Amino acid sequence: MICCKECIELLCDYFEGTLDSNTATSLEDHFKDCPPCVSFLETYRQTSDLCRKTLSAVEIPEAVQERLRDFVKNRIQNH
Amino acid sequence: MPTQEEKEQDEILVRDMKAGSMEAFDKIFELYQRKIYALAFNMTRNQMDAQDVTQDVLLTIYRKIDTFQGKSAFSSWVYRITLNATYMKLRTKKKEQYVSLDEGLPNFNHAGFQNDKVSDWSKGTDSLLFSNETKEMIEKAVDQLPEKEKVVFILRDVEGLSTEKVRDILDLTIPAVKSRLHRARLFLRKKLSNYFDEHQTRSTKK
Repeated sequence: MICCKECIELLCDYFEGTLDSNTATSLEDHFKDCPPCVSFLETYRQTSDLCRKTLSAVEIPEAVQERLRDFVKNRIQNH
Repeated sequence: MPTQEEKEQDEILVRDMKAGSMEAFDKIFELYQRKIYALAFNMTRNQMDAQDVTQDVLLTIYRKIDTFQGKSAFSSWVYRITLNATYMKLRTKKKEQYVSLDEGLPNFNHAGFQNDKVSDWSKGTDSLLFSNETKEMIEKAVDQLPEKEKVVFILRDVEGLSTEKVRDILDLTIPAVKSRLHRARLFLRKKLSNYFDEHQTRSTKK
């Protein structure tokens, strides 16, 4: 059986779906017997999810949008 | 992820822009300004810097479109220019603060099994997600990442680009992208765990 350390090292590839099937099966077998690694897996996944939800919400503020439009009009298009 | 249609649209716009079409440039501006700004903002966490970077990038696209040869996707080229402009901005501002990413790993015993209890906070975050405190904690944690890990994490996990696309933009190998991504996620997971554990302790004490 693979150990927790190996299991955690493989998480990125596991989520990418790039592990060969034997390794993926060993990993899943490990999860069946190891609640701490399941918690680790869930929180690892949730970390990406929460960061994405928080940081991907960036919008350009209206004032900046206005300055960008001016910049394009005056500094780029009229030169 | 850009669809095939978006790629084709980009190709047409680039072709038209090279032929001198200002409308094509306007369209590129509309399509890309948020992507450029968001990446610059997430890297610098500063509105003025993100605005400066966006202006620089727009100017570079306009002036250097003829040097874009179409070997990679246009969007990859735009992301690369954005990162170059962002790095220039960051260089003039602050020295990189090094943090150790090793602390992202749990404690293992000599056989490689976990010693500590691992709490699973993944199901209880909904009510906290939109609180300003949680948002600030996440922003601060991402900001603490070293630049190399931060850029991979933002492109891959925040912008949602594929590992292959991140490899193309940063000119890295796939294993290097994955290794930086994994280190970043481990570090952030640890930070989020500390925060949610503490939050849980606080709410049970109430």
